[in-house]
Amino acid sequence: MAKKSRKRYAMVLDSRKCIDCKACVVACKAENDVPLGVYRNWIGAERSGEYPRLRTSFDPEQCHHCENPSCVRVCPTGASWQREDGIVLVKYDDCIGCKYCIIACPYDARYHNPETHTVGKCTFCTHRVDRGDLPACVETCPSRVRVFGDLEDPKSPVHQLLSTRRHRVLKPQAGNGPQLYYLL
Amino acid sequence: MHEPVWEFLIVNYLFLGGLSAGLYFVAGLATWLTEDGASSYPRIARWGALLAPWPVSVGSLLLIFDLGKPLRFWKLFAHFRWQSPMSIGSWLLVGFTLLSLAFLWSWLEQGEREGLLSRIPARLRKRIPDRAMAWLRVDASAWRRGLAIAGFPVAVGVGIYTGVLLGAVQARPFWNTNLVAQMFLFSALSTGTATILLARLLDRHEVDLKETRFLYSMDIVLIALEFFIVLPYLIHGELSVEAVQEAIALVLGGPFTFTFWVLFLVLGLLTPLVIELWEFKPVLLGRGQFHLNERWATTAAGLVILGGYTLRYVFVFAGQASGFR
Repeated sequence: MAKKSRKRYAMVLDSRKCIDCKACVVACKAENDVPLGVYRNWIGAERSGEYPRLRTSFDPEQCHHCENPSCVRVCPTGASWQREDGIVLVKYDDCIGCKYCIIACPYDARYHNPETHTVGKCTFCTHRVDRGDLPACVETCPSRVRVFGDLEDPKSPVHQLLSTRRHRVLKPQAGNGPQLYYLL
Repeated sequence: MHEPVWEFLIVNYLFLGGLSAGLYFVAGLATWLTEDGASSYPRIARWGALLAPWPVSVGSLLLIFDLGKPLRFWKLFAHFRWQSPMSIGSWLLVGFTLLSLAFLWSWLEQGEREGLLSRIPARLRKRIPDRAMAWLRVDASAWRRGLAIAGFPVAVGVGIYTGVLLGAVQARPFWNTNLVAQMFLFSALSTGTATILLARLLDRHEVDLKETRFLYSMDIVLIALEFFIVLPYLIHGELSVEAVQEAIALVLGGPFTFTFWVLFLVLGLLTPLVIELWEFKPVLLGRGQFHLNERWATTAAGLVILGGYTLRYVFVFAGQASGFR
């Protein structure tokens, strides 16, 4: 029997296409019942240059589903864990709300859920991905900034984009091995 | 984002946990050092042993209250995760608290122990097997030295763990240096020393020059060690990569500058060091005896405690404000 090859989910973002409409943020909130005041994804705006040569760039961001997730390492109960396919999740029943993982995340991608008092974060919409759909933020993006897929599958669009386009990751110096790739 | 999620409950816990570690360590040292087969500083040892279990117990309760789900705290003990400083620390805290209670028990007089045992309600006492009761009645003072020695690594462990908890977070450059753990350890031992000194001074009838001299010497050594960790911490930070420089800027011109330099470094570290050295001056110059000005000693002890608390405050909040860009 052929060995089932391992999957590695990742996201590629073409942030030059981002128009800061925040449809991804709204879609995520609606899809995942994210409480008021906290977010699983957001759009960072960075202004640079001097008048009149100004530039604003938008970088959509969320959990980077890192290769070496520091949130998983510091969790004292094992509630933070990583699936075989790389997706980092929280077992809400095991989370005691110590907030150590929030502090340990270099991307500030986790939040304390004010309703359940446990920690929440982006799940890459596993409930959709596992039945073959795309994450809500990817599906909704009107300017097609986001591409989601399996890095191990040579035919997947993420694989093809990363093998042909120059790209970067955010804060590589933190050592977490982030899996959100930003096209240059 | 960068809003602090660990706040004053954690600051208080880090201080109280360290304080207990320091109390046990100093009491243990006072127990372990002997003259003619008896402890050299029995009253220091007894005070330290009597005080040690309480700050850490209060601190552990604060930790539980800080949880989003306090009733789930037991899950900490359903797992052991060696890569998580918090997991190691929670086991250490349990071991340390039990050990410090045993140490306290051993430093009670036999009469006090009997008194406590006689207060157990009769209904409950009937349930305790005779053998256990006989064991509780044994004169526990023979265990003092053994418990002191067993306590050294555990107390140092608790003291250093409070620093490792912060230092092991690579996402926060303000914490993520190899100096924070030792800084917290020596600060913890120093606040323990100062607290025993304060307790001895408040217990006015029995202030003793030999004991005070021992506590002063301990404290001078500990403060000096702490100072020579803080100094390289700042210098290395300034000479480090951009993220660390930006983190250090929080205390060099940033929002924590006053607290760090005035409350911690000058008032909480250098002033007590100067006061304690001043009292030693005649000895150091070979021109006389160690003398004791109780008012200065009280001030020094109080300032050391203030410094220990401020150090935790600055590190907890500044650390969370630091990050990579």
